[in-house]
Amino acid sequence: MLQTKAVIRNRIRIMRFDRGEMTQQQLADLVGVSRQTINAIESAKYFPSLEVAFRISLVFGKPLDEVFQCEFTK
Amino acid sequence: MGTSFEEKSIWIQLAAMVLGLGTYFVLAGKMLASGVREVPAFAALFIVASVFMVVLLAAGHIVAAIASKPEGRDERDRLISWRAEHNSSWVVAAGVCGAVTCMAFGIANVWTANLLLLCLALSEVLGYVLRLVYYRRGL
Repeated sequence: MLQTKAVIRNRIRIMRFDRGEMTQQQLADLVGVSRQTINAIESAKYFPSLEVAFRISLVFGKPLDEVFQCEFTK
Repeated sequence: MGTSFEEKSIWIQLAAMVLGLGTYFVLAGKMLASGVREVPAFAALFIVASVFMVVLLAAGHIVAAIASKPEGRDERDRLISWRAEHNSSWVVAAGVCGAVTCMAFGIANVWTANLLLLCLALSEVLGYVLRLVYYRRGL
């Protein structure tokens, strides 16, 4: 078993900005979750399921690992 | 971060539970202190408290629905709900153990019934508080 801690980051805020300041509500509607959930994901208070993560990457047209990054630290 | 309808709903349920069952337990405590031991008397009080709670819940949710459109639950709401229930269910288990102990020692049914009800109420209140904590602090 890996004795490391996973730190998950995401670039959703930057990607929304690149998409002409797409609002959290617009992204939430496209993904099918609430605006508060998008806010919680952006601020790393909630880590989404694989399904929602893939839906978000699909909205931005980017591979999953461009939207979400994981670093393992000891 | 704005408050979602789900979070508002939890605040309303918490307030209704604390006001409704809080009133019940204050009055039930006074009844027990004055020597009332008949379970039907407490059942009648509980029914009145339950109706009071339902009225508070209905009024609160109508106001919340007018103030902000309900969005429906998503995976985060469900996960928060499951985790809060998982972390608050031990209170009911403790109440059941307490009730069994009361029965074993032949303590009057009215005490056992109120102990179970109290543990159920405390479990619900803890569940609502945990939900609010998870919404604010994250999972």
